Amino acid sequence: MKASYNWLKEFVDFKEMPEELAHILTMAGLEVELIEKAGNDIIFDIGVTPNRSDWLSMRGIAREISAILNLPMKDITASITNEIGEGPVVEIEDAALCPRYSSRIIKGVKPGPSPEWLSKKLESCGIRPTSNIVDITNYVLLEIGQPMHAFDLDKLAGKKIIVKQAGDANKFTTLDGEERKISKETLLIWDVEKPVAIAGVMGGGNTEVSDATLNILLESANFLPSSVRRTSRTLGLSSESSYRFERGVDKEAVILALDRAAELIVEFAGGEVTNITDKYPEPFEAREIVVPFKKINSLIGIDIEEDFIIKTLLSLGFVIERRGELLSIMPPSYREDAERDIDIIEEVARIYGYDKMPSTLPEMQMSSPTEHKLQELVKKLKISMVKSGFSEAINYSFLNPEIIDQLNLAQDDRRRELIYVRNPLRKEESAMRTIIIPALLNNVNTNIKRGEKTLRFFEISKVFLSAGKNLADEITQLGAVYLKDNATSLWQTKHEGFYDLKGVFESIFKDLKIKVTFSASQAEPYMHPAKSCAILIGDNKIGSIGTLHPAVADIFNLKGDITIAEIDDIEGLLDAASSKICFTSLPKFPSVERDIALVVNDDVTVSSVEKEIRGIGSDILEDVTLFDIYKGKPIAKDKKSLAFSIRYRSLEKTLTDNEVDEVHAVILKRLQDNLNAELRS
Amino acid sequence: MHNDLDVIKSKAGEEIASASGLKDIHDLKVKYLGKKGLITTQLKTLGALSREEKKEFGKVLNECKNHIQDLLNKQEAILKTSELDISLKTQNIDVTVPGSSVPFGHLHPVTLVFDEIISIFLSLGFTVEEGPEIEEDFYNFEALNFPKDHPARDMQDTFFICEDVVLRTHTSPVQVRVMEKNAPPLRVIAPGKVYRCDSDVSHIPMFHQLEGFMVDKNIRMTDLKGILELVVHRIFGPNTSIRLRPSFFPFTEPSVEIDISCVICKGSGCNVCQTTGWIEILGAGMINPRVYEKAGYDPDKYTGFAFGLGIERVAMLKYGINDVRLFPENDMRFLKQF
Repeated sequence: MKASYNWLKEFVDFKEMPEELAHILTMAGLEVELIEKAGNDIIFDIGVTPNRSDWLSMRGIAREISAILNLPMKDITASITNEIGEGPVVEIEDAALCPRYSSRIIKGVKPGPSPEWLSKKLESCGIRPTSNIVDITNYVLLEIGQPMHAFDLDKLAGKKIIVKQAGDANKFTTLDGEERKISKETLLIWDVEKPVAIAGVMGGGNTEVSDATLNILLESANFLPSSVRRTSRTLGLSSESSYRFERGVDKEAVILALDRAAELIVEFAGGEVTNITDKYPEPFEAREIVVPFKKINSLIGIDIEEDFIIKTLLSLGFVIERRGELLSIMPPSYREDAERDIDIIEEVARIYGYDKMPSTLPEMQMSSPTEHKLQELVKKLKISMVKSGFSEAINYSFLNPEIIDQLNLAQDDRRRELIYVRNPLRKEESAMRTIIIPALLNNVNTNIKRGEKTLRFFEISKVFLSAGKNLADEITQLGAVYLKDNATSLWQTKHEGFYDLKGVFESIFKDLKIKVTFSASQAEPYMHPAKSCAILIGDNKIGSIGTLHPAVADIFNLKGDITIAEIDDIEGLLDAASSKICFTSLPKFPSVERDIALVVNDDVTVSSVEKEIRGIGSDILEDVTLFDIYKGKPIAKDKKSLAFSIRYRSLEKTLTDNEVDEVHAVILKRLQDNLNAELRS
Repeated sequence: MHNDLDVIKSKAGEEIASASGLKDIHDLKVKYLGKKGLITTQLKTLGALSREEKKEFGKVLNECKNHIQDLLNKQEAILKTSELDISLKTQNIDVTVPGSSVPFGHLHPVTLVFDEIISIFLSLGFTVEEGPEIEEDFYNFEALNFPKDHPARDMQDTFFICEDVVLRTHTSPVQVRVMEKNAPPLRVIAPGKVYRCDSDVSHIPMFHQLEGFMVDKNIRMTDLKGILELVVHRIFGPNTSIRLRPSFFPFTEPSVEIDISCVICKGSGCNVCQTTGWIEILGAGMINPRVYEKAGYDPDKYTGFAFGLGIERVAMLKYGINDVRLFPENDMRFLKQF
């Protein structure tokens, strides 16, 4: 809303300079967002909150200034003398949508340019002047806040106004020349034959005032805010009128505006004015609000004098009556936002000034805050990831729907069932993500372009799995991606990134005291089928780790050793992660370590060997650790050598060599029998 | 004979003192104390002496032997230390080569700010709650006193999933969800992602908010000011002042915008605060009784406040980040700085 400093001064004789006035307005809730010079005037751009439609006019802002500065206000007056004959015939069919419609006819007008002062005022407030009659309706809109419309009377069939819904009239050409589709419920202004305006939004081309216009019908009406808003939104058409009607216009200013406009038209375009027609089936009645004096101060937390409270409310136009400890308050017609005691309390506090309010701390009983377990676990995971070298990414929750088809997901995979945003900003952001990895791969891609060679990213965010009715199961997941660049770290050990990432997760689960196992089956279809595994708790898959599937890497334009990992549902880990620490007493007797080097077929996994070793179920077998994998001469081509260190210990005594040898031999035998292993010589 | 011994003793002293290596020490040991050493040879002469002489000379001889042994030990220790020093020096490594462990990664600045603010509120006895990001219109708008077809809805550009389901435009729906399930008193914060259908130099379509609210008997507006002042002081330092300006949110009444004195120019006027000296940082207010009614609380019995804080905004001010679009980029050059 643009407001002119000079124009405001016509209402209230304040001494404040523009900057000072802007500050005062801002601190009263009319936030001055911009101060601009326009000739010898200053224009304020004011952000008017949607509850204060009464500030959408010079008169309204002036009224506020008068109240804040406690200065008298010179209000607008208008009176029509020498009325000629009856007012126009007006019929309201849908009174619920049109609480008031008043109108006068002005005969014998001469359309032409507006006087310069008027054009200037319009321009400085952002409205382009056209010709006197239309300019004056716009002027009154800015001055009083009442949207007005002038029809060319001679184009109105039957010279009659009917206010009713569109019904079957499904098209209408507005005065900007656009033919618009309209819905049945749209409230229109009609003559006896046709629609002539979209009520509260825009007039029609068919009855527009032109240079040839002789007689006009002037409309000053009030329309139901929600109806105007619906119409304006459905049509995608917003105007100075609809903006005000949507927010609510003062029903009691309708006549003032009509007469003010008629007076100005007669003065600058000539003509004679008829009597008024004023259809106002249910005149405004103020609703009483009762406020206990005590509540004002107890809610705000300060002692404001009763005198100040009464003076403030009076200056803001409220009618008040004191009844002992209670205040009975009648808000003025332009303050329909004031509905209950709290609204009155705000008015008092606002004018009193929030800057005079002290700071206090609430008096509350002590209580022990319950921890948010998921948040705690997420925090722990984030710290572990960061300590493992991974940086946290936070990506949009959106997903490019095309991507989901390129991840090799099974047809019945729940992640394919996307929830779409109806009004996305870009097609690539039109679905809610069901998976985190694609965003991380994009992060890798952009960072490579910026010269990074090794990248470690993780993200913990929600994914949205459809739960029907457009709602989602929102699951907190962890995604991680690791681009390993072997070329830049020659002195470090060379192995696939898979093992680095697996090591990270092994450590994290160990830290969380969650026992997990890894299984080569059940990994994700966007991972390398031979270099991926599922992370299991018992038999439940809780995540996966794997080299990125080369075909998927291609889609993201990625090359190199890329490993990805996921934890499917962090909340699902809570039970496992909250297991209590249980101390085991330290062993009293020494352990014995024996190494065993085996030659096995290539397809024998380390975990299957470990399983066999542990499978002997000996009391004295304490631990098994892999310490070497070797392929190459002199081992046969399709075989490999695995070396384990096995630790034996008894809780009761010091073991003898014989006792250890016995068990060790059983292990070897078992490995030979079950895995075809040979002892490496 | 005594004289011979004195000569040997002083000679040995000189030779041991000038020994420059462990080999010299070894040789001297042989020369004096070895099987055919000078002292050992002297010992062998004892047999030819009388008892008295034997006793006297033996004592002197023994003293002499111990003396030489002592000198040898001391010199040996000195030489060992210096030889170790020399040999360690040849084993030097280049300590400036980067270590082989993986350097720590970095938390996203949004997480850093969240963690800091959440810990402040936890210390004040607040509990953390969460709500869905795909939210029903009822919780996001209706229950917060944004009626359908009300212009207040224009304050927040909304992403729609369908007519009645939206991407939450603020964390405020958590207020209603918590009130539905819990009786007062309440002290709650709700951190999370929010969405607005808006993208330009100063807006991103997904950002982070922290909702906070408190409901009890006798909560005053000055308490809102006090709590937020405390939080602002913890985040931006004790010299930061706050300013409350009247505003409008459908779910609070009175509603305020809260400004802090510009952390960049300390109030003297700069680009960030558009020369006003103040920066808008959060919206707040006393919870509107209409919200209590939707939640089934008695609005005559309870009062409370609520506020919503933009996390990116705080991070920008705290770290001096000049472009909000950096947050969703995940550029390592950006993340590395936190």
